[in-house]
Amino acid sequence: MSLVKLVDISKVYQTNDVEFPALKEVSLVVEKGEFLSIAGPSGSGKTTLLNIIGCLDHSTGGTVFLEDTDISLKKSKELAEIRRYNIGFIFQTFNLIPVLTAFENVEFPLMLKGNMKPKEQRPLVEEILTEVGLKDLMQRKPSEMSGGQQQRVAIARALVKKPKLVLADEPTANLDSQTGEEILELMAQLNRKTNTTFIFSTHDQMVMDFGRRLIRLKDGKIESDEKREKGR
Amino acid sequence: MGNHLKLAYRNVFRYKRRTFITLLTVTFGLTMLIITMSVLEGVDKQSIFNIINSQTSHLVIFKTGYYEKKDDLPLNWTIKDPHHIQVLLKEIPAVQMSESRICFGASLIKGMDELPCLGVALEPELDPQVFNIKESLLKGSWLDPAEEKMLIGTGLAKDMGLSVGDYVTLRMVTSSKEEEFSWNAVDLEIKGIFDTGNPTVDTQWVFLPLKQAQEALSLDNEVTEIVIRLNSNHDQEIAKARDQIKEMFISQNKNLEVFSWADLVSMFLAISKVKTEKSSLIILVLLFIAAVGIINTMLMAVMERTREIGMLSAMGMRRTEITRLFIYEGGIIGVFGSLLGCILGGLASWILEIKGMPIDSMGEAAIKVTSAIYPVKNVIYADLSLEFLVIAFVLGTVISVISSFYPAAKAARLSPIKALRHI
Repeated sequence: MSLVKLVDISKVYQTNDVEFPALKEVSLVVEKGEFLSIAGPSGSGKTTLLNIIGCLDHSTGGTVFLEDTDISLKKSKELAEIRRYNIGFIFQTFNLIPVLTAFENVEFPLMLKGNMKPKEQRPLVEEILTEVGLKDLMQRKPSEMSGGQQQRVAIARALVKKPKLVLADEPTANLDSQTGEEILELMAQLNRKTNTTFIFSTHDQMVMDFGRRLIRLKDGKIESDEKREKGR
Repeated sequence: MGNHLKLAYRNVFRYKRRTFITLLTVTFGLTMLIITMSVLEGVDKQSIFNIINSQTSHLVIFKTGYYEKKDDLPLNWTIKDPHHIQVLLKEIPAVQMSESRICFGASLIKGMDELPCLGVALEPELDPQVFNIKESLLKGSWLDPAEEKMLIGTGLAKDMGLSVGDYVTLRMVTSSKEEEFSWNAVDLEIKGIFDTGNPTVDTQWVFLPLKQAQEALSLDNEVTEIVIRLNSNHDQEIAKARDQIKEMFISQNKNLEVFSWADLVSMFLAISKVKTEKSSLIILVLLFIAAVGIINTMLMAVMERTREIGMLSAMGMRRTEITRLFIYEGGIIGVFGSLLGCILGGLASWILEIKGMPIDSMGEAAIKVTSAIYPVKNVIYADLSLEFLVIAFVLGTVISVISSFYPAAKAARLSPIKALRHI
């Protein structure tokens, strides 16, 4: 059973009377545990594809399966529930909650899941923060951390609820190349360790090289789909 | 819920200055609300105290039919042998003391000056147990039943330039009906000048011994009213005693009616009610301004935190949870603003309750307006009660929560994708 299956997915944006096709009949299968990068120039449809896979947006045509469940016709409310339990997000601009500490930011998805007592949550949060190398910065607020440290918090936050899928939209775009590499290395390491599926978008060659599978998009279509020996 | 509340609490204090300014609008509205309620309550209580203690007492007995004509002060609707009634009243446990009085139209003449006034003939031995006129004497001394002397209020003394020991002529209207209008005049020495705090009494009433008035008005053993002081000030007790006396009159076939102080000053009570309602309107406007402040602050927060809302939504936060988050934020501003408002309003009202607010300091116009509506003068005292603080606190918090609904709904309706793209 594949984790994600897209069949002939299209997405058309409509602005006033002008229609803009962002995705054109894209079909794709993602297996569990993959470390996949989606590359392409601006406007190629990377973010749109991630949004549809991440249950943030509806496609205008085609079918999306998440573990054999057709989610194409689910209502916004149902999609929110899927995101809450199954999908972790890592954003380009980190998007941490500024008033919460690193610990509280990571604890937040567990609180949303709501199936654990705070006492049970604590060791999980501490463990993942230690894993991303922030053991000593747990009580810092985002404003007191560097970009790289904030992105590590975001990775911990995405992974703490043990999601089936982690989506990262250009996760290194706001970081210097060395920090970016460290972040990608960390994601690759966590992917190997937890077997969590990672899909990330990028237009940076260094990032593309990290993926074990690389999908290139162009003008809303898959241009190439290749397995990479060199990937992490 | 705890985590949402924690997040809301921290968000509220994220923009300290803005929160503080919004909080102040709530605080200001509630402070004014509490002060207004306390002052109005204080003035009402002070007015009622003055009415009961210097003007009406708790209950008044008239001959049946007098009540409808009481403004004409008729002297042909009298109670005969009032002493007999007073003895009967002693059997009612709620009655502390009763006194016979005659009210008559009169004017006070000094040289070329003449001022209309209300003559009240009282029983000097009993009156101090019913009213506080004796306690209110500023100059001179209390009346003696056998003396041809009178007491006047500070207002009348000032208007006519009178002082203790002066002689004045009291022209007593013995019949006010046009066809049989008649009067009698007596020269009386001013024995004392009183200041009850009730402008009506202090500027319009003169007191003289009952015996002297009965002689001058040719009312032998007749009075126009019997006033009653009860043991309790409670409205329910007053009503109960009134009904008891009423039953007694019916069972003994007496041609008498009994009224409570509230029946006699129904106009004052009606005006007071209208004043309270009008003041509430002003307060509502203040609270509306506070509500607009909260809506504005919350809308700004929604705008500034659009991406954050998008992120929360992407993480799977439900619309109801986002709504709740913003309502909590409004509620927290409301709770703190209301708390501060209750402290400031309570403190200001407490000071006004202890020290009072001199009406004189507000100028001649304010004195006239206040005394035209309320039987109070000199100093107004607030009357703060816990009930006002609770009402204000609940009102402030509820208004803040309600004001947050629109911004909260706006936040919850944001699409996660659009919100995440927001710059």
